[in-house]
Amino acid sequence: MKFISIMLGGILIQNFVFMQYLGLCPFLGLSEQMDTALGMSGAVIFVMTFASTVAAAFEQFILVPLHLEYMRTIAYILVIAGFVQLVEIFLKKTVPSLYKALGIYLPLITTNCAVLGVALLNARQSYGVLWGTVNGLAGALGWSVAIIIFAGIRERWKFMNIPGTLKGFPLALVATSLMALSFQGFSRLFASVLK
Amino acid sequence: MGEKLIVTPSPHIKSPRTVKGVMLGVVISLLPACVGAVVLFGMNALLILITSVVSAVVAEALWQRATKQEITVGDFSAVITGLLLAMTLPPGVPLYVPAVGSVFAIVIAKQIFGGLGSNFVNPALAGRAFVLAAWPMSVAGAWLNPLTHDAVSSPTPLAVLKGGGTNIPGLWDLLIGNRTGSLGETSIILLLLGGLFLLVTKIIDWRTPVGFLGTLFVGTWIFGKPGALFQGDGLSAILLGGAVLGAFFMATDYVTSPVTPKGRLIFGIGAGLVTLLIRLWGGYPEGVTYGILFMNLMTPIIDRFVVPKYYGYEHDARARKSAEGKR
Amino acid sequence: MKRSLLHEFTKGFIEENATFRMVIGMCPTLAVTTSVKNGFWMGVAVIFVLTFSNVFVSLLRKMIPDQIRIPIFVILIATPVVIVELLMRAYLPAMYEILGVFVPLIVVNCIIIARAEAFAYKESVLRSFLDGLGIGAGFTCNLMIIGGIREFLGTGQIALGSFVFPSVKLFEPLVVMLTPPGGFMTLGLLMAILNIAVARSAQKKAH
Repeated sequence: MKFISIMLGGILIQNFVFMQYLGLCPFLGLSEQMDTALGMSGAVIFVMTFASTVAAAFEQFILVPLHLEYMRTIAYILVIAGFVQLVEIFLKKTVPSLYKALGIYLPLITTNCAVLGVALLNARQSYGVLWGTVNGLAGALGWSVAIIIFAGIRERWKFMNIPGTLKGFPLALVATSLMALSFQGFSRLFASVLK
Repeated sequence: MGEKLIVTPSPHIKSPRTVKGVMLGVVISLLPACVGAVVLFGMNALLILITSVVSAVVAEALWQRATKQEITVGDFSAVITGLLLAMTLPPGVPLYVPAVGSVFAIVIAKQIFGGLGSNFVNPALAGRAFVLAAWPMSVAGAWLNPLTHDAVSSPTPLAVLKGGGTNIPGLWDLLIGNRTGSLGETSIILLLLGGLFLLVTKIIDWRTPVGFLGTLFVGTWIFGKPGALFQGDGLSAILLGGAVLGAFFMATDYVTSPVTPKGRLIFGIGAGLVTLLIRLWGGYPEGVTYGILFMNLMTPIIDRFVVPKYYGYEHDARARKSAEGKR
Repeated sequence: MKRSLLHEFTKGFIEENATFRMVIGMCPTLAVTTSVKNGFWMGVAVIFVLTFSNVFVSLLRKMIPDQIRIPIFVILIATPVVIVELLMRAYLPAMYEILGVFVPLIVVNCIIIARAEAFAYKESVLRSFLDGLGIGAGFTCNLMIIGGIREFLGTGQIALGSFVFPSVKLFEPLVVMLTPPGGFMTLGLLMAILNIAVARSAQKKAH
């Protein structure tokens, strides 16, 4: 039950982009083409899930026993940056095809505040390693759903007669507003069943 | 600037049917239900309808004038947006609600993106979602009793069901619209009359409403009764709330729904599923608005992945395969 | 041609405005701008971190090897972030709760690493200090303006301490402005209006 609740929460009810304002820079910047959006989604799902695992393990086995919780921000950013580096090297050596597909997106992930964001949220809610990982996966899936939908919409704009001064970020933000409005219907979904 | 090459997304088929003609058809199909709304809910309903339509038309004209475009309010699309928005509102809302909703629908949901044909969500529904989120109290609680027009605190039948109650109006009352609800959603007979007109004139495709209402019917029948499968009241489910209004008049919007027949069926089923999800387990009593809006967002993806087979393609592929086999 | 010192400070408000000209740091710009007050405190936190990291990057710029400069920047940014976190938790616990995860997230705010890389790594300590102060103050202004619009429309009033304006609500507040859809819309429309204004003035100059 907790699994379903966290998954639905991350994807529909508390979508990272539409409800929690996380990962907006890459969401706005990399959504102009479907291929880019798909590639970035793959990379984010991979990194965010396992970065959550690593960060939660770091919290549980190093920070808490040593009473260093106040150093969480520094510790996490270093752990995550190191993890992304490792993933890059590991993929390059072992799964070159996957590296080819995701490689260029991996360095961009460091600018995605959702990765650090979900790790910090996990620690605040003391999710532990297992549920932290699940929450990371749910958040990453939610972010991916959002950027893929948005890329679908944005690809059509190329053919449309849009006033020049509105093109780019203003329009992208207004569109995000309409998408967030559409996702409001999911608020409190399953609230009566799950709690 | 001179002549420009205009590039537009498909379909490119030319037919004698004009935008204006189609839109006029939709307006005509909505009129019975609008008259019904005024009969059922009185002057309030009329004022809301007028406010909504006038604000929509004025907003469109002013925007087009400000951006130095051709003014196209004569194509009735703004009129339809205004009418549809008004029909989704409770009859007791203050008049600033339809006014703000219409301006939002026309300017933010449609004109900013380049006007008719470029919007990705149904403008009227976006307007409704906006005013519902802006003033949740006054928009979700301003119900009037039909015919007597007195303000009631009694909730709509769907809200009754949400609260765990079972006391909802009978079938005949539901068909003629003798129940609390939004302006234009209650009178099922008049809505079906308009819907039939649109089907007969081939303005809309049957697949969307059938997929939508069918999913809602079957889904409610299976899951509608807590604790027991296959015992829900599917028929009431499609007669309650805005299901009929949404399925015939909003989910079928050309601009924001898929172009292929298969895509339209998927759209209808998807909208039905989200509506069902919200009605049975969500935070709101009614989910039609969000069901359709969600599928509006999915439309580009549906259009991308559900493409009709090219004529002769299958044959070609088989021929190539056999040729490869021989080698 | 070297710019004047005053200009290093003032450029952050208009020509190198983080939100509207460079479009970076979107998450906090939307997440914490439900009121002028929240925007102000978030802005103060950013000013502190940005000035601190700019000064130290500039101080150490001759010692930092080029290849590993980014990890070193990150540490130089994370340090003041932790300081701000601890200070806020101690002295402004209510505000720390409201701003939530977005205080530690300053560490990945693109504004700060962008200034370290593009400015402080090349310029003198004094200039970097002024740059951090100016860009940070410009960012704070943005947060307060967006916060003000959303607070006014969303609650009908603007509250600054005990001073509330206007004292009587003039209209039924639009709650949606305090939620994500309202935030995205406010920023989008503000940017659109600014773009139009800039295009107009460019047109006038051309004539």
